[in-house]
Parts: sequence; C-alpha cells; structure tokens
Amino acid sequence: MLTRRTLLAFGLAAPWFPVRAATAFGGVTEDEFVLGTSAAFSGPSRGLGIELYRGAMAYFEHVNRAGGIGGRRIRQKIYDDGYQPDPAVTNSTTLMLDDDVFLLFGYVGTPTVTRVLPLLKKFQDRDMYLFFPFTGAAPQREPPYGDFAFNLRASYGQETAGLVDNFVAVGRRRIGVFYQADAYGRSGWAGVRKALARHGEQIVGEATYQRGTKFTSVMREQVNILKAANPEAVICIGSYAACAAFARDAVDMGLNDVPLANLSFVGSENMLKLLSEGRDDAERYTDLLVNSQVVPSYEDVSIPAVREYRDFMARYNPEVPAELVTEEYTPFPHSFVSLEGFLDAKLMVEILRRLGDNPSRRGLEQAVFTIQDFDIGIGEMVSFSPQRRQGLQGVYYTVVDQGRFVTLDDWGKRFANVG
Amino acid sequence: MSAEPVPSDIKVKKLFRKTVFGVFMLFGVIGLSTSILNVYTVDTHLSEEYISNSKGIAKTIADASVDILLNRDLAALQSLIDQFLEIQGIRYIYIANESGEFIAHTFVPGIPEEILQGDPLSTETVDRTLPGLGDFVEVGSPILAGVAGTVHVGMDRGLIALKIQRAIGQQMWLFVVVGAVGVVAAIWLVNLAAKPMARLMAYAVSLARDDEPANPELLDRDDEVGHLARLFRHFANQRSADR
Repeated sequence: MLTRRTLLAFGLAAPWFPVRAATAFGGVTEDEFVLGTSAAFSGPSRGLGIELYRGAMAYFEHVNRAGGIGGRRIRQKIYDDGYQPDPAVTNSTTLMLDDDVFLLFGYVGTPTVTRVLPLLKKFQDRDMYLFFPFTGAAPQREPPYGDFAFNLRASYGQETAGLVDNFVAVGRRRIGVFYQADAYGRSGWAGVRKALARHGEQIVGEATYQRGTKFTSVMREQVNILKAANPEAVICIGSYAACAAFARDAVDMGLNDVPLANLSFVGSENMLKLLSEGRDDAERYTDLLVNSQVVPSYEDVSIPAVREYRDFMARYNPEVPAELVTEEYTPFPHSFVSLEGFLDAKLMVEILRRLGDNPSRRGLEQAVFTIQDFDIGIGEMVSFSPQRRQGLQGVYYTVVDQGRFVTLDDWGKRFANVG
Repeated sequence: MSAEPVPSDIKVKKLFRKTVFGVFMLFGVIGLSTSILNVYTVDTHLSEEYISNSKGIAKTIADASVDILLNRDLAALQSLIDQFLEIQGIRYIYIANESGEFIAHTFVPGIPEEILQGDPLSTETVDRTLPGLGDFVEVGSPILAGVAGTVHVGMDRGLIALKIQRAIGQQMWLFVVVGAVGVVAAIWLVNLAAKPMARLMAYAVSLARDDEPANPELLDRDDEVGHLARLFRHFANQRSADR
C-alpha cells in the first residue's frame, strides 16, 4: 500500500526521472561523452589516423582539463581499422551496438566511410551520426546517406576543381590522373573529369595503384602509362606512401617538368618526409609538388585558430593510446591533418555544448543546425542547415619551399606552361 | 641322362613380369582415358558454371548501378564493384557508360590495351588473354537495357585450370594406390597358381630322368595338377614297359 511518504518521495523524484533517463544511456553519462572512432592506426596510412587523433585530442584535452562540457569530460573509444573497409564496418557495429557511443567522430578514408554509411541508415532509429570524417568524398554529402553525416572540410570535388582550374589558367590543359583503385580514387578521378569537362577537356591518361601500397613499391609501370599520355600536369589521388613512391619514380624516369598535385588526404608532411629523408637532392623530388589543403597553413600564426592549435599541441602533446601503437611512427609537431583534427574537435565541442544540460542523441541534429556563422578561428564562418551539411568550403594550395609546405601565392610564377 | 637345371623359376618370373606389365598397362589405359574425360568434363562444367555465375554477378551489378549512376556519384559505384571483386574467381570488373567511357574499373596499374581497343558496349561473352594478368572469360550485362552503359566481369581461367589440376592430381593418386594394390594382389595370385606348376614341372623332370619322383604327393591331388601328374606317371610307366 502506498503511504503518503512513498507518494511524496515519488513526487519529489519525478521531475528528475527524465533527466536521469536521458543521461544514463546512449554514450553520455553525468560524467562524460563517449565518442566512437574507427581510423587507420596501423598500415601505410597510419600517419593520417594518428595525426587526426592527436589534433583532436589536443583540443579535447584542453576542454577536459577545464572541467569538460557541463561537467562531462570527452572520451574517445577508438578502434584501428588499418584503412580497410571490412574492419571499419566491424568496428562501427561494435561502437554502435556494444559500446553504445554517443556519436561517431574522426573517421579516416573514403573506402572505409563509404562502407560504414549504410550502417548508419540501418540503425537510424538510434539517431547515430558520423561527425567530420577525414574524407572529401561525395557519398556522405548526398542522398541516400548524406542525412547521417556532418562534414567540416571541403569536398574532393572542390579540391580537384580548384587544381584543374588553376592548372588550366597557367596553360596546363593536358591533365593525367594517378589514383588509388577504390572509392577514394574514383571520387577524385570523377572530380577531375567533371572539372576538365567544364573546360572542354578530358583526362589524357590514367594509372592506378592498389590501396595499401608502400613507399618501397615500384611505380614504373604507372609512370610509363602516364608518360605515354604526355601530360602537362598529373593530379594524384592517393595516400602519402603511394604518392611519394610515384613522385620518386616519376622524377627518376624523367617526368621532370610536370607538376604533381596531391589532395589534402595525402598527408603532406608524411609525403614530404618520405621524399626528403636521407636525400641531399630532395628538391628534385619536391619542387614540382603542389598539394591542396582544406585548412590554412599551420605556419600562418596570424590566424587565431592556428595560434591556439600550436599552443595546445605544444602544451598537451597528445599521444595515441599504447594499445593502438603496433608500428613505429614519429608524430609531427604540426601538420595539416592534425590541424584539421583540432578544428573538428573545436566544432564538435561547440555542438555538444549546445545540447544543453540534458544531452541526448535525439537533439544532436538540431544542435548542429544552430551553428550559424560560427567563427572557428580561421577566417571562414561555419554554418549548417538541413540543406548544408558541410561547414567549410575553402581550399588552400601549398608547395614545398625550403623543406616545408608553404602557401602557394602565384600559380603562374611557379607552374606556368612555357613549353 | 644329363642333369639339366630345372627351368621352373625362369618361367614363373616370366609369368610374373607379363602379369605385372598387363596390370600396369590396364591401369595406364584406364587412368589416361578417365583423366582425359575428367579434364573435359571438369573444364566444360566449370566454364559453364563460371560463365553463368559471372553473368549473374554482372547483372546484379548492372541492376544496382542504375540507381547509383542516376542519383549518386562514381565513388559509390566503385565501392560497389570493389565488393564484388572479393568473390573467388573474379579478377576484374569494369563499367562503361553509354558513350563507351570507362567510368569505374578495378585494373591496376591501368586498363589493359586489349580492353581499351575493344568495344566496351558489347555484352557478348569473350575469352581474353591479358598480358601479365592471365586468361579470362569476360561476360557483359547491359545497364538499363544498355542506355546507361554496360558492366563487364572477368573470371580467371587460371582458377579453372587449377581446379582441373587438383581433380586430376587426386585421381592419379587414387590410381597409384589402386594400381599398387593390384600389382601386389596379382603377384600373390600368380605365385599361388605358379607354385603347384613348378612342383609339377619338377615331378615331370624327375620322371624323365628316371630319378626318384619329386613331389609324389601331387598324385593325390584332385585337380588339373593331379591329373597331369598321373598322366606323366602313366607315360613314364609306358616308356619303361616299352624298354
């Protein structure tokens, strides 16, 4: 029989019940948000996963040390997929069903993300979203999966269009493509093809390589295929190990006056390191490189977010959890990839903050749409809406100067076709 | 009479050799003929099965491609064909649009010249030899009745050859084992039959030499050897009477 005291107790507790219920499951507790990550921490592309994680952790660490978001710390539950689609799918299933994380964050790669997207649709009743994957491919930007992901960076379509437009502007209209034989490579290939079509041109030659190719691999066949097409520029859509191997063999085989462009995914610092380490004539291999980036140069300390990034990276120097370190890797103090991870984390924190005191997955999408003209600190305002699920549009171009990537100011001066 | 050696051993060895040779020949002929039949059967059946499977896969990709080609980007299409490449035997897939442009493929380091020179819109089944890659059966399937392009799937003929080699290898092992058992059995049987013959021969020789008859117990046998022994004794007795 219910006594007055019991009824009173229920009455007092009732207003708190929804709060407890909303915060006791679904990857969020009174103490923390749990973000799920599957990325490359092993294999030839491990540098991308590691750098992206380090950049994001620099910001998360700062927020955690300052007391978290409404008292909740941010914790990442991480799995290694080695940049392979099948492990990425398995990891994501574990993250969603077993670990019950709050959201997915910081994924790396097109072939992996492309395969994970259907999972998000399959479990859409769980309101699971993928935030800021490190890929500029189209599948997570358009139907039928675009509604399950939010992107911060510019797309590969924007990067390739910018490269093609600039090459054409300096008289280099015969463009070849070297690309990874998978969804990532095809995404970039399609971007180049589309951009060239606007100028009434076609891809003059194309060569591919297998995902997972190492720097020690020989790329002579690919160079020969492209040389036969007599290109005036080659756009590479690949990972740093393969693209560095291609650049090395291209220069060695006499493809000397042809600029080699790479997309942001390449991981510029890792590529530069492979081409420069132990060489006295590194300029031979790096002078004709032009890499597009989706974040500004980390050398430009006039940019507020860059200053903040450099400060946090120096202060916290984040390290990858020991259990994920299976192969040797020396991290860079600064890199374009870790800067992107840093900006991803900064925006993620802002979104989590906007969820209020009773955060739940159900409110995530609306919280994202409240981001309007948000100043992330790089000079470009970030906005989201149901029709706009990509925060930034800017593409930056960099070349190697004195052993480091710097902003390219004058395409004509550097790459004008005088032939 | 001169004491000549008994030739029974030599004759029995000859009998052995002929029997073993005969067994070997028989197994050789059976092995060769069944192997040829097997190669033909396995090759025909596997090829038919591969072509049928390839056509099914090509059609599946073609059907799935329609939506992707019309509504989505080529990365999704590439992701789709990459997954089919994991099926055993499929070595390459390529998709051409209605203009014959190659819009997705799985070739590394590039599309082979033989395929670039071919007609990408044809859906006929063809045998291809691609330098550095091997021999293939290639099947095609139209996308949206051909107005949106074609899908081509290349199945590795090397895998068929490997399966034939395995089947023939297993069969040859079986023949070797059965052959060895057959030879041992033949030797045992010939030995069994040759022993009384050798003793009969020794008996006959002893009668011819007027020696003490060897193996007199043969006269008690109720078989061909016993009959012959008694016949030899009859001739020997007759010869003694004539003297």
